[in-house]
Amino acid sequence: MWRPPPLLAALAAATLVAAADPVPVTITTDSSGPSTRVVLMVEKGARCKVVQETARVQVECDNPIAPTPRSGALDDTILTRFALEGDRTIVFATGPGFRRLDTFELRNPTRLVIDAQGERGAAPARAAAPAKAQPVVVIDPGHGGVETGAVGPTGVQEKDVTLDLARRLKALLERRGLTAVLTRDEDRVLPLDDRTSVANHNRAVLFLSIHLNASKRKDAAGAETYFLSTGATDAEARTLAALENKAYDPGGASSEAKAAAPPDRGLELVLWDLAQNSYLAESSRLAESVQAELNALTGARDRGVRQAPFRVLMGATMPAILVEAGFISNPEEEARLKDAAYKDKVAEAIAAAVASFAARS
Amino acid sequence: MTSRGASALLLVALVACGRTDRRAQPAPAADPVAGAAPAEGETAAPLAKSTVTLYFPSAAGDTLTTESREILDTIRPAERGTQVLAELLEGPREKGALAAVPEGTTLRRLWVREDGTAFADFSDELASGLPGGSSDEILAIYAIVDSLTANVPEIQRVGILVAGRERDTLGGHVDLRRPLRPDMALAQKKAE
Repeated sequence: MWRPPPLLAALAAATLVAAADPVPVTITTDSSGPSTRVVLMVEKGARCKVVQETARVQVECDNPIAPTPRSGALDDTILTRFALEGDRTIVFATGPGFRRLDTFELRNPTRLVIDAQGERGAAPARAAAPAKAQPVVVIDPGHGGVETGAVGPTGVQEKDVTLDLARRLKALLERRGLTAVLTRDEDRVLPLDDRTSVANHNRAVLFLSIHLNASKRKDAAGAETYFLSTGATDAEARTLAALENKAYDPGGASSEAKAAAPPDRGLELVLWDLAQNSYLAESSRLAESVQAELNALTGARDRGVRQAPFRVLMGATMPAILVEAGFISNPEEEARLKDAAYKDKVAEAIAAAVASFAARS
Repeated sequence: MTSRGASALLLVALVACGRTDRRAQPAPAADPVAGAAPAEGETAAPLAKSTVTLYFPSAAGDTLTTESREILDTIRPAERGTQVLAELLEGPREKGALAAVPEGTTLRRLWVREDGTAFADFSDELASGLPGGSSDEILAIYAIVDSLTANVPEIQRVGILVAGRERDTLGGHVDLRRPLRPDMALAQKKAE
């Protein structure tokens, strides 16, 4: 059997590589949120990484690429525009509002997500807008309607106390010059996604969900403040990426149906679910500060700052926390939570922490 | 032989049977994986037992505390996981621990996928029996997730279903839309 001489084979292989088409890269951008997101879907054949330089962010690939589009304006103060440079580097110019970069990679198909954080206020286009709008804080009274939440030994319902506390908190925040929006201002069922939507649409500087705890341990008592756990969202991203992978079927039988659907719905969902990831450090700082004030002002047992994969915090595109103001299952705490003066103390504690946080953001 | 002698002999036999690490024929009624038992040919060797660590809510505070149990050393991850959950649902034996799940909760089925995700389908009591606070909800969920992942190497994350359906949450708090990884920060090591 004839075999090509090794050198010839190597030459053929080299020619193949050289002749290979540039690897397609699809670029999508989103500047509608507080940060600017760029997603690069890289087809098989190239590996790319993000490098931050002075005044620019570069995506450097190990093989020639063919980005779609090849260049574009982001019309933004965080990332202003991008363009292909040479045949394997995409350069993003950073604007005056650019502060820092978060990047991560999703697999199958490989997508590089660049999350550029910064300040939009510096945008020249928006300079005409009211110079200093009041920061918006969104307060979410837990549960509502038929979803009563926990019920105390004498029948006090969590949904009523959380609404009461939220209204008190709103009044205190407005006295401090903040705009406070409640996710519900009446006794009704409100889906968990709608609660963070209120905060996202209002571009709130923070989202705060108020709850009361309950336990079958009757001696369980005290207040605690939660922010989202990191491991939970990480796992979530991966699982969802895997689900997407199955749905991803370029040119397959379902491609016609896909063309009719919004182009990157799955990706949007991934980004949405990861939204809170970018704010965990700030959420943690806010949680610490709220918990410290609760400890100082209410005398409730300090259960500290904790992390859990709370569903309601998942999609918030701003620092987000959940306050468990006390155990309604505990007879003493239930009695305190019926007392207006005590509820004022709880609201005052949260307001103090929230106002100082909002002032710095 | 007197009847007293006979019962003494029977007692010795029972103790011997209980103490030994091997049973030739596990009684079907006592076998938590009855029905899912391996085929006749595979059980030529007697089943060994293995020790597992269960996570229960601590009575002292809201952490998880551990208890040990012996289960049959089955090979298939779903069988091993089913035994672990059967022991967990039966409840704690020690004073310092509380039931992990509401009374009456049963396991409908457990699947283990090759990618390391297990799906555990429980009866409705898992959600309807919770008192409504995040604390017990978190502990119930992680007692399940931690017990499974700690004892079945093939399981890395656990999806929880209720009455055959996916749920957003059990009681409005912990996100169940996607499988959960263990949270070992809740687990306190038992002093030994």
